[in-house]
Amino acid sequence: MPENHLSKFFKPGKRGRLRWVIFAIAIIFILTAFIDATGVKNIVAEKIDQGLSNIPLVSDAKIFPNLTLNPLDNTKRLGWSSIKQIDLTTYGLPYRLGLDLQGGAQLTYNADLSQIPVADRKSALDGTKDVIERRVNALGVSEPVVQTSMSGNTPRISVELAGVYDVNSAIKMIGETPLLEFKTENPAATKLTDAQQKQLDDMNLVVRKNAVEVLDKVKAGGDFAALAKQYSEDTGSKDNGGLYENVKKGQFVAEFDDVIFNKLQPGQVYPDLVKTVFGYHIIKLESVTGSGDTKTVNVRHILFKTKTSADIGIAPQAEWLNTKLSGKNLKKATVEFDQTSGVPQVTLEFDNEGAQLFADLTTANVGKPIAIFLDGTAISTPKVSEPILGGKANINGNFSADEAKTLAQRLNAGALPVPVTLVSQQTVGATLGQVAVQKSLVAGFWGLIIVALFMILYYRLPGVLAVCALLVYTAISLAVFKLFPGFTFTLAGITGFILSIGMAVDANILIFERLKEELRSGKELAKAIDDGFSRAWTSIRDSNASSLITCFILYWFGSSLIKGFALTLAIGILVSMFSAIVITRQFLLLVAKWKISKMKFLYHIKK
Amino acid sequence: MKLQIIKNRKYYYFFSGALFLIAVLSLIAWGLKPGLDFTGGSQMELNFSASRPQVTEVQSALAPLSLGQVIVQPANNQDIILKFKAVSEDDHQKILSAIKDKFAVNGTAIKENQFDSIGPVIGQELLNKSWTMMLIATLAIILYIGFAFRKVSKPLSSWKYGVSAVLALAHDLIIVTGLFSILGHFWGIEVDSLFITALLTVMGFSVHDTIVVFDRTRENLSKFYSGKYDEVVNDSVNQTVVRSINTSVTVLLVLLALYVLGGDSTKNFTMALLFGIFIGTYSSIFVASPLIVDWNNWDHRLKKK
Repeated sequence: MPENHLSKFFKPGKRGRLRWVIFAIAIIFILTAFIDATGVKNIVAEKIDQGLSNIPLVSDAKIFPNLTLNPLDNTKRLGWSSIKQIDLTTYGLPYRLGLDLQGGAQLTYNADLSQIPVADRKSALDGTKDVIERRVNALGVSEPVVQTSMSGNTPRISVELAGVYDVNSAIKMIGETPLLEFKTENPAATKLTDAQQKQLDDMNLVVRKNAVEVLDKVKAGGDFAALAKQYSEDTGSKDNGGLYENVKKGQFVAEFDDVIFNKLQPGQVYPDLVKTVFGYHIIKLESVTGSGDTKTVNVRHILFKTKTSADIGIAPQAEWLNTKLSGKNLKKATVEFDQTSGVPQVTLEFDNEGAQLFADLTTANVGKPIAIFLDGTAISTPKVSEPILGGKANINGNFSADEAKTLAQRLNAGALPVPVTLVSQQTVGATLGQVAVQKSLVAGFWGLIIVALFMILYYRLPGVLAVCALLVYTAISLAVFKLFPGFTFTLAGITGFILSIGMAVDANILIFERLKEELRSGKELAKAIDDGFSRAWTSIRDSNASSLITCFILYWFGSSLIKGFALTLAIGILVSMFSAIVITRQFLLLVAKWKISKMKFLYHIKK
Repeated sequence: MKLQIIKNRKYYYFFSGALFLIAVLSLIAWGLKPGLDFTGGSQMELNFSASRPQVTEVQSALAPLSLGQVIVQPANNQDIILKFKAVSEDDHQKILSAIKDKFAVNGTAIKENQFDSIGPVIGQELLNKSWTMMLIATLAIILYIGFAFRKVSKPLSSWKYGVSAVLALAHDLIIVTGLFSILGHFWGIEVDSLFITALLTVMGFSVHDTIVVFDRTRENLSKFYSGKYDEVVNDSVNQTVVRSINTSVTVLLVLLALYVLGGDSTKNFTMALLFGIFIGTYSSIFVASPLIVDWNNWDHRLKKK
């Protein structure tokens, strides 16, 4: 009778309910195991794929539902894919690996907030963090983590770059973010007299003459590398024959950048000297790799340094004084064209505070220049003709349209509000991590096998059930690790997980020892199971609580690697309590119905 | 078969006392060898695809860079570990190129597997943090045990269980730390933040074990408090000893697998856990319970006077 079946379905008897619970556990196991065994870079998934496609009949079984598009009428149709066609590594989530496992770098910076008023420090630090985040994102790091913290009175910014191996360029990228400053004239600055200026100019004429001579030698077919070795004043490249490899756009000063990326073909030498803040360059483009944003070039150059006031014995006395206005106050930078001359200029728009500061600054300095510094170099020193109250400033530095655009982009990507210094770095190569993962997996596997053997040999039937529960436990924990937001596996974390396998057994052992006692005292099996569980529960709860407390403290105070350990252990302990109390218990109750289970031998009880 | 743990407690006291004394003496005489993350400094791990240079060769290659003391250790088959003061990224690149210039010849490729440079300030901070962590963990555990045993008051009040558990815990931690002091003195094994993590984990585990034993005492006292206190405690220890040992055995087995098969960088961590959990199980059976018995006897003697 259908009604009867239905009522049985919805109001199951005691035995029926047990079946449903076991069924639910099985579903959870299959689901979590599926989550565990899929995803990119998953060794298990690859092995399963391989194994399945090697079994002749199974691999052709069409069991995976699959929506296919019919190209004729553009409708979607439900079809079936065979096991062979399914690639488990393209489904599901990957395991997130920490820095020590996938390689990468952790950088810790001190932020110098001494120039910032106390009330604004927090926002300045947060602003710096945002800027570094944007910079790091530009590096193409998959999931960068940038965090700020106060250590005593020192503000810290820590940057975790997983999968970044060229840490040197990452450090440069972060450190060389444009530092935008506004400065006013220093009345006490040392000015060169006309005679000194002439002396300097004469010296630089000689430098230029020497440079031209070498340029002629290059043009006459001289060996560029050898000439660079002989003449170049760039200590960083001189010994390599002037060579810089894998240069990205934006890495060098704008004038240099423009020549190597826009004006030269591979193999060519630029026909003129190129003048930058460093001096005169002779530039040869060697080769180009990639295109568009990923374009990199190998380039050689010979540098002739121009002389500065320091070279004629005059200590550079700060010409400019700091003001409170800085890149922190920048809301946005845009390229505009002067309405009359059509010359490109970069317009800076300030936030409210910046607008006020700029208004004060221009009011106080009418008739005097204000210098706009980028990375410590003055890029524009406009003279203030009248106070500017609108919160906008123009940088008019004889830019080409492209230069103006690049500058605006760099400024928008973020001017660092405060200077930062690198105080610690930790870098792990990719291979080291891979070896560690592999070793830990092997260790975990054997650990599980040994524990399973021990449990089965010592506890017999309940031991077998505990091992089943342990498998469910492993499947659930791994799935939780994947699904838990922000969780990453570290080496210590894997240790924590493997340790928790050992601990997961603990709750089972507590219960089984109780069960044995109850059986010894002559209780029948089902009653013994119920009593055993309820008696063991207080011990399990109280004893695990202490481990959870230490996990909590470790998580609260520890560095990110230790956090990983604490979190894995804590998740492991919680899931293990669930597995022992719910899963093992249901298994035992199920088995208790079987006739064979009445044999005392199966419980290892001596009479 | 019944173990006479309470009766024979003076042997265990003696054994534990001896270990404790050795540990304390070693800590006083030799102290611990702090790792890079506490002292600050740099550590660089290089892999050489072919012939690995001699220690003195590496040192002389780096001499012009005036790095101060440079410790060079060969590791595995083709690796070299360099230790020196904390350096800037520029200096790091200089060191790397100095080594590559000198030794990356005849087809030898040099790969930098790992580079850590930790400013001395950071190290000091981590050390302070570790102390805070230990302190807070100990306090939290004392509070927790006091809470867990709040209902037991006869014949011994609940806080005395807590103090006994913490004494057993201190015993475990001091002995493990002492072991690392000896290992540090003779084999140069360093104590880093992972070691602190291991200590805290051992803390959790050791108390966990002790609680199971005390919990049984609590239950037995409420059930049949008629026998002598020391007998009840001895029974409780006997009833839980199999569980204590089996639990530790499973954990020790997985740790052993990790120690033998796992990665090098966590070997010391695993060893600290192995030893700590072993000694923690020992103390929960042979130290913690005898302590509460003696405390009870002491109370009685005071009352009689």
